[in-house]
Amino acid sequence: MRGRKVRKPDSAEVDLTPMLDVVFILLIFFIVTSTFAREEAIGLEPPPPPAPPDQEEQEPTPAILILVDESNLISVNGRPTDISSVRANIERVVAESPESAVIIQAHPKAKSGVVVLIRDEAYKAGFTTRVNILITQT
Amino acid sequence: MARARREYAETSSDIDLTPMLDVVFILLIFFIVTAQFIKEPGVAIVRPEVDNKAPAKPLAILIAIDANSDVYIDKKKIAPAEVAFTIKDMRLDNPRGEIVIQADVNSDAGVMVDIMEAINKIDGTTVINISAQTNS
Repeated sequence: MRGRKVRKPDSAEVDLTPMLDVVFILLIFFIVTSTFAREEAIGLEPPPPPAPPDQEEQEPTPAILILVDESNLISVNGRPTDISSVRANIERVVAESPESAVIIQAHPKAKSGVVVLIRDEAYKAGFTTRVNILITQT
Repeated sequence: MARARREYAETSSDIDLTPMLDVVFILLIFFIVTAQFIKEPGVAIVRPEVDNKAPAKPLAILIAIDANSDVYIDKKKIAPAEVAFTIKDMRLDNPRGEIVIQADVNSDAGVMVDIMEAINKIDGTTVINISAQTNS
């Protein structure tokens, strides 16, 4: 008689322990596999699509042509420079013609690090837009 | 007397697990929802050091170009002709989020710009993310 009374509330209660075990294993799995990958990036513009051949000539905008050759030598509007004076060269041309756009033309074998650094210098000179990155056709 | 005391002791030794279960479930759901299964390219990259960069969030696809100008996606070397196809394929699984190119400083600019063009054709984005690190 007494034993039955004790068992009754016992059997009405669902045992949560196995579910808790499963939930904890899932929880630990998701904590461990969550990588929280972080990536900091600089924005570069892809080359514009080729213009249709029958298009009439547009009014040419003055451009600052930054050329990177095969051996990573940089020249701004034909004047050879190194990476630290790219910004000064851009700013000098911008002071003369504020409407100018920047064109970074790199040889396919040039290092992409150089191109990214030049784009960074252009950002520092205030060019958040109006920059084109091209590859020299060989 | 003895019986009453015994019943009382039994109920108090039984800890109520329901609040803990609630908390654990909330944590579990949080981690399930925030889990982003990024496929890392799995090659060592020397990132260019720049000043003008921003965190790319949320990340979707990582494309690595190593120092030998080989392209890696999801720990596999991808032939240059198949890069656009692979990105398109991965975009189906991951329609939102940023594509980031991890270009080594010594990789060829031609390879990087080709991939930038491919991403531009697929996504229509006019600014492509190139992974960078802090100027040290």
